[in-house]
Amino acid sequence: MHSTKVSKGESEGLVANRVLLTLLVAALIGAALLPFAAMAPNRLVSGQSVGLVSALLAWQWGTLGLLAVLLGLCALSRPFSLPAAYRLVLVAAPLWLLLVLYGLGSYADRALEDASSAARISQGAAFWIVAFCPVLMIVDAFQRLHTNLALRSLYAALLAGSVAAMFALDVFDGLAILREYANNRELFAAEFATHLRLVASALGPALAIGLPLGLLAHRRSGARGPLFGLLNFFQTIPSIALFALLVAPLAALSEALPFLRALGVKGIGATPAIIALIMYALLPIVRNTYAGFAGVAATTLEAARGMGMTSRQILWRVEIPLALPVILSGLRIVTVQAIGLTVVAALIGAGGLGSFIFQGLGQYAIDLVLLGAVPTIALAVVADFLLQILVAISKPAGAR
Amino acid sequence: MIELQGLTKTYAGKDVVEEVSLRVESGEFGVLIGPSGCGKSTTLRMINRLIPITRGRILLGDEDVTELPPEQLRRRIGYAIQSTGLFPHWTVAENIAVVPGLLKWPKQRIDARIDELLNLFHLDAGEFRHKYPHQLSGGQAQRVGVARALAADPEALLMDEPFGAVDPLTRDVLQNEMLRVHRQTGKTIVFVTHDMDEALKLASRIAILNAGRLVQYDRPIELLTQPADEFVRNFIGKADLGLKLLSRRWVYQYQQSAEILEQPSSFHHDRSSVTHGWEIDDQGRPLCLHGGRLYAEESEQRTRVTHEWSATPDMTMKEALSRMVWFRVMVLPVLDEQERLIGEVAMQGVMGREP
Amino acid sequence: MRAVTLRAPTQGRTWLLVGLSVLLVVLVLFMEALKPLFQFAFPDLQSPLYDRESFLQLTLDHLLLVLVSSVISVSVGVGAGLFVTRRGGREFEPLVSSLAAIGQTFPPAAVLAIVVPLAGFGFVPTIVALTLYGLLPVVQNTIAGLGTVPATTLEAARGTGMSRAQILLRVELPLAMRVIIAGVRVSVIINIGTATIGSTVGAQSLGTPIIAGLVGNNIAYVIQGAVLVGLLAIVTDLFFERLERRFSFGG
Ligand SMILES: Nc1ncnc2c1ncn2[C@@H]1O[C@H](COP(=O)(O)OP(=O)(O)O)[C@@H](O)[C@H]1O
Ligand SMILES: [Mg+2]
Repeated sequence: MHSTKVSKGESEGLVANRVLLTLLVAALIGAALLPFAAMAPNRLVSGQSVGLVSALLAWQWGTLGLLAVLLGLCALSRPFSLPAAYRLVLVAAPLWLLLVLYGLGSYADRALEDASSAARISQGAAFWIVAFCPVLMIVDAFQRLHTNLALRSLYAALLAGSVAAMFALDVFDGLAILREYANNRELFAAEFATHLRLVASALGPALAIGLPLGLLAHRRSGARGPLFGLLNFFQTIPSIALFALLVAPLAALSEALPFLRALGVKGIGATPAIIALIMYALLPIVRNTYAGFAGVAATTLEAARGMGMTSRQILWRVEIPLALPVILSGLRIVTVQAIGLTVVAALIGAGGLGSFIFQGLGQYAIDLVLLGAVPTIALAVVADFLLQILVAISKPAGAR
Repeated sequence: MIELQGLTKTYAGKDVVEEVSLRVESGEFGVLIGPSGCGKSTTLRMINRLIPITRGRILLGDEDVTELPPEQLRRRIGYAIQSTGLFPHWTVAENIAVVPGLLKWPKQRIDARIDELLNLFHLDAGEFRHKYPHQLSGGQAQRVGVARALAADPEALLMDEPFGAVDPLTRDVLQNEMLRVHRQTGKTIVFVTHDMDEALKLASRIAILNAGRLVQYDRPIELLTQPADEFVRNFIGKADLGLKLLSRRWVYQYQQSAEILEQPSSFHHDRSSVTHGWEIDDQGRPLCLHGGRLYAEESEQRTRVTHEWSATPDMTMKEALSRMVWFRVMVLPVLDEQERLIGEVAMQGVMGREP
Repeated sequence: MRAVTLRAPTQGRTWLLVGLSVLLVVLVLFMEALKPLFQFAFPDLQSPLYDRESFLQLTLDHLLLVLVSSVISVSVGVGAGLFVTRRGGREFEPLVSSLAAIGQTFPPAAVLAIVVPLAGFGFVPTIVALTLYGLLPVVQNTIAGLGTVPATTLEAARGTGMSRAQILLRVELPLAMRVIIAGVRVSVIINIGTATIGSTVGAQSLGTPIIAGLVGNNIAYVIQGAVLVGLLAIVTDLFFERLERRFSFGG
């Protein structure tokens, strides 16, 4: 890996932090050239673009400008010292982000006041850029400060809490995506739950099958080649193809075996989706389980045996604790992957957030598409972050 | 007592250990030595049955090891290896507690034992108990490894090149500690190394292996003075055989009485009678040597006694000789623990009789 | 964690690749010949063979989507990876690495969906989504691959008097190539899958018969599309596996 430390030489010029400067310039260019929001007379036509300055109130873009100047100063070698500049970024960037979010919401409210009830306000490309850049600034500042995961998590929780509070205070209610949500409130809750249920019902069996298989791959080198070959084969098949290919045989099975039908096994719906998700989940779980066990130093095992531990004691007290972080990293990969693949499962009638996406695409209703896509992405990112924390916790205090 | 009888190990039809028979008596420090790949580790690992025995017998005391359940056998024999094999996820205390824990010792007894062992290796218990292996230096980790092997007060200790991966200075310190621990505990030890100096320093008996066969099993002195064959001679190292021999001789064996000068100022060089004499203070500590230089014409005829330029009775003659050469003096004062003069060793003495 | 590489046995893989490639080509060209088979298997279906476009056309469309996006993402991705590992761009490396890592948590299907409002329906948004998504594994593996070149090797290369360009071309890239190709492999395989979903945003591909079949309750269509795209992915994966192996220097 390359060193993440900033070398001395780079701080001597006028620009101390080129990453920050680049992000800032990108945000400003995006804000200047791309539409910040769009207003459409109804759900199905595309709207009229509005730039950032005309969409926001004077105090809002004025403050954004001041924050931009402050962030710009943070990128320079004077007046702030490097650590001070990083800390300042950690204050200014989230303020910028929250203000952009608030500005969009308040613009939607104002624009809707004198428009028909069918009118729709949606966010434009500039919004995504102007909101994403401060997030990257925060990530970069944390990396430069070498902040530990606990502090980062606390910070992320605070930031997420602030955004959640804005949702709770109905800041965004004017936005099309939230009006879409308001129209589909119950359905959304149901599909969200379905999404989680599909993911969970795939991960359970996948772990139950994958962990022993990973251990088998570790213990029997002969089994490794064929096993990984097969699992990689599953992983390679495009999701939609695998989902679809399971439909026909399952339909035939449930046709032929009444007891399966009684269990709810059908050609379309949750059953093929869960089976496919399990097939996809196996490779990362088995691979990481294997890698986790294989990563336990041979001398550690030799010592354990030499001291008279039984195989069972070695497995539970030495191998599993040392392999656990790697196994959980596999779980992290698989969870994120399953959340994404479940979107596609909507195509075979399994439900989940994907059904909004495909329904929206079918009706050319962009906001409905976003109602499915944005929460899915958020879910994946949050799951990834939580499991990252779990991996960090599972690392034995003494393991390097 | 550990006894190997016709011990043989075959891998893929090839004997990597062949008919090895030897006996390490109780309290003895046995060393297995030989070139890389000669079967030292294989032999050692058959003793605690980490690998199965192809043929032959191994006795621990009067029990055949194959008649004991392997785990129970291993809990009765300490085992320390080169890379320490410390469990990275456990603290020093937890690592040491492994075998006592497996043997279900009560907690207080284990705790007391951990402190005792850390003290034995001069590791501060308060400081080291809670450290993790990656926080230890190589030497500290190795000490903990040996402490862990000794934890349940085993009947014997097997060590496979335990000091092979530490720097020479630390290795020397660890070897000295090992000697001391051996003296204090009286454990039967089987120690594998490929370093002849280490073997000569530690062993009470050395077994030389070559290509799986036992070539010679003797006390170090006999190995040096009566090597069984050309292989042993070569392996010991012909070039510095004499020096190696001196590394098994101790100053007390060569110590002579020292001439104390009543009136140092009047000492004058007289070849026919006394060549040198010692000036001492009122506590009996030597101050300087008059005469005794290698060459009479050397201007400085008085040599101040310093810490480096002196010997103790338990120093090896190799080291004493080295000091004489370094300081260009024919004799060294021998000091007791209070640094009082109790005798001297001289260059001529080394060349003279066998002790 | 110790790095663990998984090597499947090479024997027989070549024949698998050749056999499956031939099967793929034959199926693409002569799917019509199987019409009686589908007719027999699904007697209830009026039209047991997808015939709105030829499978050759669908396959070519699919390949075009994947090829265009992969060419862009590989060139941009390797370029970005090189930039952040040179002296001038090293400052960007941590951010780019975490961006690539975070980006890959985004579900490809959701990325595809989110591009639609920005770029519209059809070929272009699919290309944009595929390119963006395909970039990430390439960048990540380029950085990782160049990072695996031992410092001592670079030191030795400098010691022999190679210029920086020579070191890059003759030492770093060859040594990093296996890992970079592994990244391209992941990227291309994901893109083949995502291009399939592209048919839901109006880009014609092998996903088109699958979607048509799912919508029209025609399992035969579904099978025809899925078998072809599955074969395409597996053949591509086997091909990249071979390619990767050529660049493993005993490691
Ligand atoms: N599991 C094994 N299978 C086959 N040969 C082995 C095995 N273990 C050790 N050997 C061979 O046995 C010989 C002795 O090995 P070892 O006892 O480790 O030597 P050393 O004296 O260096 O400790 C070597 O030639 C080694 O290659
Ligand atoms: Mg060995």
